[in-house]
Amino acid sequence: MKSIKNIFSNNETCSAYLFNLPTIISALVFIFLPVIGTLITSLFRDVTYLPGKFLWFSNYERLFADPHFWQSVNFTLLFVIVSVVLELFFGLIFALVLNEAIPGRGFLRIAILVPWAIPVAISARVWQLIYHFDYGLLNFIFMKLGISNTHINWLGSSSGAFISIVISDVWKTTPFMTIILLAGLSTIPRVLYKQAEIDGTNFLQRFFRITFPLLKPVIVVALLFRTIDAIRIFDLIYVLTGGGPGGSTTSISLYAYNYFVSGDFGYGSAVSVIVFILAAMLALLYIRFGRFGEVIK
Amino acid sequence: MREESWIKLLKFLGSAFLLIFCLSPFVWMLLISFSSQPDFLSANVKLIPTFNNYVQILLNSSVHILDYLKNSIIVALVSAFFTTFFAGLSAYAITRLRFPGRILIPLLLLGFSMFPQISIVGYLFKLLTAVGWINTYYALIFPYITLGLPLALWIMLSYFSRVSLELDKAALIDGATRFQILQKIIFPISLPGLLSTFILIFIYSFNEFLFALMFTIDYNARTIPIGIALFEGFYGQIPWGYTMAAAVIAVVPVILLIAFFQKYIIQGLTEGAVKG
Amino acid sequence: MAKKIFIQLAFILFLLTSCQTKSDKEFTVWIGGAPQEIDFWQKLIDDYNRQSGNNAILVRQPTYTDQRRQSLIISLEAKQPNPDLFLMDVVWIDQFAKSNWLEPLNKYIERDNYSTDNFFGRVINSVDKFEGNIYALPVFMDIGLLYYRKDLLKKYGFSAPPQTWKQLVDEAVLIQKKERERNKNFNGFVWQGAQYEGLICNFLEFITSHGGSVMNNGKIWSNTPANVEALKFMHDLLYKYKISPPNTFTEIKEEEVRRSFQNGNALFERNWTYAWNQHQSSGSSVKGKIGIAQLPHKEGFGSTSALGGWHVGMSEYSDVKNEAWDFIKFITSFKTQEKLLLNVGWNPGRKDVYHDSVLLNQIPRLKILYEVFNHSVSRPVIPYYAQVSEAMQRYVNNCLANKISPADALKELQKQINKVTAIYEEH
Repeated sequence: MKSIKNIFSNNETCSAYLFNLPTIISALVFIFLPVIGTLITSLFRDVTYLPGKFLWFSNYERLFADPHFWQSVNFTLLFVIVSVVLELFFGLIFALVLNEAIPGRGFLRIAILVPWAIPVAISARVWQLIYHFDYGLLNFIFMKLGISNTHINWLGSSSGAFISIVISDVWKTTPFMTIILLAGLSTIPRVLYKQAEIDGTNFLQRFFRITFPLLKPVIVVALLFRTIDAIRIFDLIYVLTGGGPGGSTTSISLYAYNYFVSGDFGYGSAVSVIVFILAAMLALLYIRFGRFGEVIK
Repeated sequence: MREESWIKLLKFLGSAFLLIFCLSPFVWMLLISFSSQPDFLSANVKLIPTFNNYVQILLNSSVHILDYLKNSIIVALVSAFFTTFFAGLSAYAITRLRFPGRILIPLLLLGFSMFPQISIVGYLFKLLTAVGWINTYYALIFPYITLGLPLALWIMLSYFSRVSLELDKAALIDGATRFQILQKIIFPISLPGLLSTFILIFIYSFNEFLFALMFTIDYNARTIPIGIALFEGFYGQIPWGYTMAAAVIAVVPVILLIAFFQKYIIQGLTEGAVKG
Repeated sequence: MAKKIFIQLAFILFLLTSCQTKSDKEFTVWIGGAPQEIDFWQKLIDDYNRQSGNNAILVRQPTYTDQRRQSLIISLEAKQPNPDLFLMDVVWIDQFAKSNWLEPLNKYIERDNYSTDNFFGRVINSVDKFEGNIYALPVFMDIGLLYYRKDLLKKYGFSAPPQTWKQLVDEAVLIQKKERERNKNFNGFVWQGAQYEGLICNFLEFITSHGGSVMNNGKIWSNTPANVEALKFMHDLLYKYKISPPNTFTEIKEEEVRRSFQNGNALFERNWTYAWNQHQSSGSSVKGKIGIAQLPHKEGFGSTSALGGWHVGMSEYSDVKNEAWDFIKFITSFKTQEKLLLNVGWNPGRKDVYHDSVLLNQIPRLKILYEVFNHSVSRPVIPYYAQVSEAMQRYVNNCLANKISPADALKELQKQINKVTAIYEEH
């Protein structure tokens, strides 16, 4: 008991490590160890009904030769690009609105947190009903407004399913984008706008000359977070389309998961490793890109 | 003057769009949960309000909706508590003490937070099977703590670094231990930060899907997002009224949280992302 | 101080997590179905618990077949004592048995002198047996049927449903042409062509009724002349005869087909047995105008239907196996099977129910169903079926999408299947 007390009070390094112990242990056991384990498993045949066998890289060979894998990579990248761009667009609009002194701002801020806070699996169920072929809200609105004269099979066709997933994801994650951008907006001094107004600029000019340049670093951070998050998309697709129709909306995470739960852990692990490398590459790209922007400035 | 009114109109349209955009799916969910016919839009049926969906899913013993909700709340509470506490310990050491690895730990954690969950889920499943934790709360709590730590640590770091070091020095002279300083001085001062972290991690844990899907099996540990995602049906026939009633019950805790703690959530998200 | 707080925290954690308990004599049963079906199962189980003194707990299985399989694989791979009993699709049993997840039922069957002769021998032998042991028993049997519009056939002078594919095409072409004058959405023949498991069942029916097959001496063999002919016929339905909707290959599954037929937009429909009650329900525009028959066949061959359905199995890791066996006996008993048929329309796994004269009077279609079950074909019984099925779905669907010719599709498919086999066959 006494020695513990001594460590806590006297030796700075020791107590620093003691303070960090829970963090370090949990990171080692629940992230580092599984990552190493996944790497190792990816080199083996690990199927529930077959004896294990060391395979070198044949899981990876099989992976690169599988058109379904490439389909899922293409889908995931396309999804990331389209949805993140749309989220940035809507996020910017909402942030600009919320940054103004408008009546009911507190309520608006609560409203914008709703999509973010509801579990994806649950909102995906709601969207599934909205896209429903026979009695979905969206088909009802489209018919009433005359946009379409037949019911659209939103989740049953590959392009419809893609659009549906993007809409639901934009709904779900725009709030996050908004809040980050709002924080960035609040750091821009009001004086700049007042000055520009005196100079006789209109509000579009003010946006492109003041807001956008000053917001750029925050935008890069927000894009980084969203991209890394979007590339691992799983739950929304799992519930909304299950990866269908015909595997056309299977994300890489879902592709890997499907192999795990069909009992092939070796192959699933190989896919997981590729997902990880992909995410890491994108992160590095952004970090480079972000710095690049700073240097120019 | 003309531009002024234009901007006013834009602001109004923007807010209206924001409200419709964010809330309409939620309203739709509420509406269906109280209707006897989910297909009232297409068929010639009238919308008859009813509590039947709620009564059914709450009374029917094989639905287990309250079990799922209980599991979710327990797991999220425990995870949020320990994540905040552990992150507080680390953040204190990092902001107050000099030791090798001071910079490395937060950076490594930030790196870990970029790991896609799928790249650890397979092996984690094997580990948890080996220790017999599948379908228990432990199978979720420990991974959730680990997943939450990077964000929690970055929020806490930004709060703790604003607390003056003079307070520590004075307490050390009075003979307080480092832990006492953290507990008696730093934690109380950074209470808003603790609260932000706690609520954010609670919501993230409450919403987590992949781990809960793979590490739980039935109502003993299954959380509510999984329960609702896997609601029963045959050949794609989904009982919409029940599903939406279950969904409403599931989102009540989070809606209450954001209604009361909106400020802390926004602060937490901002600290974690922008300053971190 | 630090220690005290840690102890307190640990105590809270312990308290919260110790809410989980399980008493003995208790076992969980995983069953899936539509809401009213599950409600009925709950009633059955309540009755069972009252009679037996055991405590069976019903847990609902997810909506989609893949999700059901996945959650079972997770719990079995994690060696969980729950669930003790579960329903399996016919194509999972082989993988589950080979992974040593299922308890062989032989010793219980012998001990209790339980007669398996009451089940369809064809079904038991093809899907429930693995290396001489019985691992599952049928609870609900499903099969592909031809639904047809009696009123329309009569209107155009046909007295009976088509026997051969040629007759089906002739009738459909004629009637579709006439009916389209009133209803431009009308189609001659609707079936499941989207890229998913249902396509394989349809494909299997087309090829076996053309004299083809997928399994030969335990090897999967897709590239045979009969199979090519069958695939070409499927292709022709869309592009030559144009009696199946042009979007058959993109989005048509069971529910799309059922809706189209139920709204009066189709003459013939290939669907599972569940569609009958839906078509005959109030509000259906074809109520009372329909009949069921065996699927047609090519001249000179016999009709076949793909076997589906749910079989009950026991987990190797169950800790109350005797009670679990008792429950299997209960749900496969004549009484329970009869109740399931009458209340939720689940086709019994037992033959004797189909011969019961009282039931036959009440439900005349049992006679046709019995015939069809005796001509059932099962999908390949191999542990890596899921991977083979995925490859088949892709190539058959690509052919229907007109991206590849039937002959080339099956040639490429064979190559793909050989690859899959090389990976998952033991060597």
